[in-house]
Amino acid sequence: MLPQALIHNFAYLLRGAEFTLLLSAGSIALSTAIGVGVALLHVFAVAPIRILVELYLFLARGIPLLILLFAMYYMLPYVGIDLQPTIGGILVIGVYYGAFMSQVFRAAILSLPKNQWDAARGLGMRRSLMLEIVIFPQAFRIAAAPFVNTCMQLIKSTSLVSIIGLWELTMAGRETVERTLAPFQIFAGVALIYFCLCYSLAAYGRQLEKRMRYVH
Amino acid sequence: MPLDVNFILRNLPLFWKGLVVTVELSLLAIGLALVWGLVVAFARMSPRWPLRTAAAAYIELVRDTPVLVQMYFIYFGFSMAGLGLTGFVSGLLALSLQNGGYIAEIYRAGIESVSVKQVEGGKALGMSYWDVMSLVVLPQALVRVIPPLANQFIVVIKDTSLVSAIAVAELTQIGKLLTERTAASYEVFLTIAVIYLIMTGIVSGLSRLAEHRFAIYY
Repeated sequence: MLPQALIHNFAYLLRGAEFTLLLSAGSIALSTAIGVGVALLHVFAVAPIRILVELYLFLARGIPLLILLFAMYYMLPYVGIDLQPTIGGILVIGVYYGAFMSQVFRAAILSLPKNQWDAARGLGMRRSLMLEIVIFPQAFRIAAAPFVNTCMQLIKSTSLVSIIGLWELTMAGRETVERTLAPFQIFAGVALIYFCLCYSLAAYGRQLEKRMRYVH
Repeated sequence: MPLDVNFILRNLPLFWKGLVVTVELSLLAIGLALVWGLVVAFARMSPRWPLRTAAAAYIELVRDTPVLVQMYFIYFGFSMAGLGLTGFVSGLLALSLQNGGYIAEIYRAGIESVSVKQVEGGKALGMSYWDVMSLVVLPQALVRVIPPLANQFIVVIKDTSLVSAIAVAELTQIGKLLTERTAASYEVFLTIAVIYLIMTGIVSGLSRLAEHRFAIYY
């Protein structure tokens, strides 16, 4: 017995997956930019700013993403901000995951041995130059594997925007189920597409990790 | 926009009702996931390859798909098959199955972090495999996995908000309904965010306490 409903609607699901990829790419770019910036602030900034960073991390770690998405959906219109839903979704997911990304980059920066800093300072480098040619090239390599892991979490989290009515893979799945009444098949197909996306990323991350171990 | 404190106070009983469901779901899910994770972890480390491969495949499968899709799969799938599970049970199953996979890997990392010499020492004393495991390895491994387990617990608490999508009247769903009825979105989401922060804060506080408490013993 072939899963007819799934076969007939697979193209539709793939179109949903396209949107999932778009959302993911946008939020990964945003969260990476935020992550690097916040990690630098966390490591170098003066105490008051560091406290603000801690507060941001505390909030992101303790509040469910769905609550923030709902808040965006229900609250912003009252304040008079009318965001396009896709942009809003990317913004919320990007800012939320920026906190987790910043932890990845911060850990990588702090994991570098102290003599790297001392040597760079001993050569008379300014901080910006030191970061650019000594710290970042090494830290980014260390951060690569956990970065990929966080990206995977982010891709899975984009499924939540379907709850606030954005059309992507999970939403496409729900629509198809309502049309075909074949929930097992369709959601298995949806899960399969997510699995392919995440598993390939995870495999890539493991490869990066292995390469890292080889370098050291 | 001024904050209407009275509105929050007036609706506290409603928030409380949602909170109770969220706490129940979180505790049950983490409890099941802790037990199920141990089973999966031992299967994953089994000397028999079919068991080992099956466990590894299971872990990949539940970790590489969104828990929301797993919830939909269980909730809509079983109801269509005529075995209607309630939203609560479907959510509980999905959360336990997914986090069981994550927790299995946490256990495995903890168990493998215990030195081989400990195992050899136990064997040299004539202990059986299960004696070595339960008396030597697990007590040490469990202390080491307290922080990552607490982290996973926090993830579970946050993920219980997703069952609002399958019609369970927990905290998030209550908040959503209240917002749609009263348009007091500011007050509602602030209250809910604070409640979640308190819950996750309690877990990370307890984890730090437990770490200290057992570090002395260890």
